[in-house]
Amino acid sequence: MGFLLTCPHCGPRDYTEFSFEGELRPDPYETPLTGMTLWARENVAGTQDERWFHDLGCRRWFIVNRDTRTNEIDADV
Amino acid sequence: MPTFDFEGRAIPYEPGDTVASALYRADVRTFSRSFKFHRPRGLYCLTGDCPNCLCRVDGAGEVPACTTPAERVRAVEREGGWPSPERDAMAVNWRLRKLLPVGFYYKWVVGVQTWKRIEPMVRRAAGRSAIPASDGVELPIRRHVHPELLVIGAGPAGLAAALAAAEDGVRVLLVDESRPGFEVAPGPTADAIAELLPQVEAHERVELLTDSAALAVHEGPLVPIRREGELLVAEPRRVIVATGAVESHQLFAGNDLPGIWLARGAARMTGRHRLSIGTRVVVAGSTSEALEHVRTLEAGGARVERLLLDADAAAGVQHPALRVGGRIVAAHGRRTLRAVTIEQGGRTERIACDALVLASARVPRDGLLRQAHDVPGVSGAGEAVDPGCELAAALASGRAAVRAEAAAPAAIPAPRTCARAAGSGVACLCEDVLQEDLEQAWKEGYRSTEIIKRYSTVTMGPCQGAMCHHHLKAFVAERSDAPAAAGPTSARPPARPVRMSELAAGVRHPIEERTALHELHVAAGARWEWAGHWRRPSNYGDVEREYRAVRERVGVMDVGTLGKVRVSGRDAVELLERIYPCNIGNIAPGRMRYGLVLSEAGHVIDDGVICALEDGAFYLTFTTTGAGGAEAWLRRWAAEWNLRVNIVNQTRALGGINLAGPRARDVLEALSTDELSNESFPYLHHREITVAGVPTRAIRLGFVGELAYELHHPASQSRRLWEALFEAGRRYDAAPHGLDVVNALRLEKGHIIVGQDTDFDTTPAAAGIGWAVRGEKPFFLGKAELERRAGDPPQRVLRGIRWPGGAPPEGAVVTAAGAFAGAVTSSWDSGALGHGVSLALLQCGTDGEPPATVAYGDAVGTVGDGVFYDPEGVKVRA
Repeated sequence: MGFLLTCPHCGPRDYTEFSFEGELRPDPYETPLTGMTLWARENVAGTQDERWFHDLGCRRWFIVNRDTRTNEIDADV
Repeated sequence: MPTFDFEGRAIPYEPGDTVASALYRADVRTFSRSFKFHRPRGLYCLTGDCPNCLCRVDGAGEVPACTTPAERVRAVEREGGWPSPERDAMAVNWRLRKLLPVGFYYKWVVGVQTWKRIEPMVRRAAGRSAIPASDGVELPIRRHVHPELLVIGAGPAGLAAALAAAEDGVRVLLVDESRPGFEVAPGPTADAIAELLPQVEAHERVELLTDSAALAVHEGPLVPIRREGELLVAEPRRVIVATGAVESHQLFAGNDLPGIWLARGAARMTGRHRLSIGTRVVVAGSTSEALEHVRTLEAGGARVERLLLDADAAAGVQHPALRVGGRIVAAHGRRTLRAVTIEQGGRTERIACDALVLASARVPRDGLLRQAHDVPGVSGAGEAVDPGCELAAALASGRAAVRAEAAAPAAIPAPRTCARAAGSGVACLCEDVLQEDLEQAWKEGYRSTEIIKRYSTVTMGPCQGAMCHHHLKAFVAERSDAPAAAGPTSARPPARPVRMSELAAGVRHPIEERTALHELHVAAGARWEWAGHWRRPSNYGDVEREYRAVRERVGVMDVGTLGKVRVSGRDAVELLERIYPCNIGNIAPGRMRYGLVLSEAGHVIDDGVICALEDGAFYLTFTTTGAGGAEAWLRRWAAEWNLRVNIVNQTRALGGINLAGPRARDVLEALSTDELSNESFPYLHHREITVAGVPTRAIRLGFVGELAYELHHPASQSRRLWEALFEAGRRYDAAPHGLDVVNALRLEKGHIIVGQDTDFDTTPAAAGIGWAVRGEKPFFLGKAELERRAGDPPQRVLRGIRWPGGAPPEGAVVTAAGAFAGAVTSSWDSGALGHGVSLALLQCGTDGEPPATVAYGDAVGTVGDGVFYDPEGVKVRA
């Protein structure tokens, strides 16, 4: 199922224009990530902050809050 | 008059004709042969619902003739039937039908040996259409759209819904499988469509797409829509399914004879196409629409011999041929209808006629709704949810569907019982499932709609149950006490027949990128290979010559595909220090350094060079296939760390030409006035120089192990530079070279190609380039994980192998003491060195070391560091 993502630069676009990096994780510059902290993911069924890349557009990275069950995007994040 | 070809005949057609109406005018009556019994089939529904008129149109099978406008086609032929659809020898199957009950091949074709003999015969005899032999298929494109509301079906309910929504400020996409009103006979419904359509078309918030068939309603909702040349993927917030209803197919002996019509189709033939469906007509109906159609037929010159109406429908009707409460029990005729037997009040009567028109209760076209029964945001309107409703109710239903607070899941109408008669009525027109077959299935213990469907294939044909689903439900409801057993069968995508090419919509040929020098390579006889999206020359026909040119004189290569990224801004050093495992801040302007790109896990994901520029910016190169990912990687971390940098991907803006060989400087000096001596422009430096009038950034690297200059320049001037280099290089017999020889040259030097010689989990140390990692740096991506694993003995390392004879092919498995020892990643039979050279990812023993020798067949190779040519690096510094 598809959905629209709002790129901060280009506005709402089809999700197929974007690459998905996954849930937001600690900054490795602040917190050294090794072993499980590097590899494991929360993999929630619910809302999470996640990082997307506008691959076929402006090539900007941005963070959205998405419900992994419904693909609903929280517009306020 | 324009014509199309029909099995060798030119068939004229009039404006507004469909393929079916034009053929009917030309006296074609048999449009197909049925699936199993090869019974002749004629026009029946005229709304694209039944399988009777599926023809091969312009090479494509299974196209409904009745909804295909004649002006769009060139050649039409019927499918099936041997020797012809008119006279089909296989029609004998009808007489043998007692031997061919449902599931006959499970029953009397028992035993594997028998089946093997019978199978080819069954396969030849069965099936509706042959797959066209074609060299290539034009794949449709795939397009995503995001309307707020998608309305499927532009009949009265759909048009009313679209208009109401648009007036509420909603952006609407309205799709119709055909054209609005195209299949509708003259009458109040057609008038309503004619009134609404201009308003809908004029409304700025409605997009109306005709000839657009919704194939499925998936979770999301997501609705794939088939159109000419494209697959539209609609992802609306809400969907209203207004696909209407079809008059129910009735069961009686001979119910599939040509000359029997569904009333809307008959009225359309007469009212729109001015074609007579017969002179002596019997009409049987139970709907208020029936009289409307009788008038249309009579206005067209038909004589209605008998009008059989249910008591409800007959109320207030005045007609001399009217009989209330009668029903059809049989239709007679061999190839077309000759007579019908009707039963009324216990008496049967045979009436000669040439057309029978059925205006029975309507059944919903609810395949899409049933697919979507648990998808939020999908609702139905009009006859799709309330079959048989009056026009006014359909219009109101469309408007109400829009304004409903929350779109409730579509209500599925309860099964209706249908008039049933004894005899061999064909329940399922697509699959030739008879009433007896359903009864046989029931006797054998198949006792719900779902399993009778699976056993008998009823509802599984091209019409997807439009004709037979209601019979199946009614059949079980009459016999079973369990309401669930008589429920509707699961509807699944696709709701309409789909071509394989449509399923592959959007799966395009690879994107092809070419450098500015592409045509020059073509002219020089290049052989090509893919590198990501790019086309790159493998060689120009003589690898040996290309090799010798680089090693002995000068070779020229197009490296314009390399990733090229400029990073500038206040935090440029900070960003690159954190990204690269080497030091960045101490690269003096004019110097360059080899840089690895590591993942957070410390695995090598790309490599290239880092050039420090005079203005504090950096010019970075990456591999051809890694360029996009490397740029995204830089941007990703710049964003996460909120660093002030400008990142510009110049991969396509800049060209690159590598000039390599002992004579490289001589060629450049002939074209440039800049100081190029080894003292002023040494190895691992870069300079802005002008070559043949072209401004270039020249980088002195040694990937191929010779004196070399990589000339980066505006891509618009690539040709000029390339041609000038050959002009100046002629006295040294300069040759262009491709990737084959680069692969060989760098392999002799032991230089790796990331992605070819590394795997997804290769660390710098395992790749033998641990020197490119400065572990004392406070931070770089991957450092923490590399440190954590620093004490672990390596499991796999990249090593060079020297083979006394020929080298094994790339990808070959090598062994040590008879056991798997690793895989060859690069290979080359070096004529110049006199032995084979390979790089291989080798398994390490418990001591963390790979074997000292490995075998490939009889050949035994010596494992080493892999630097076979100029190990001191004298030549690259020359």
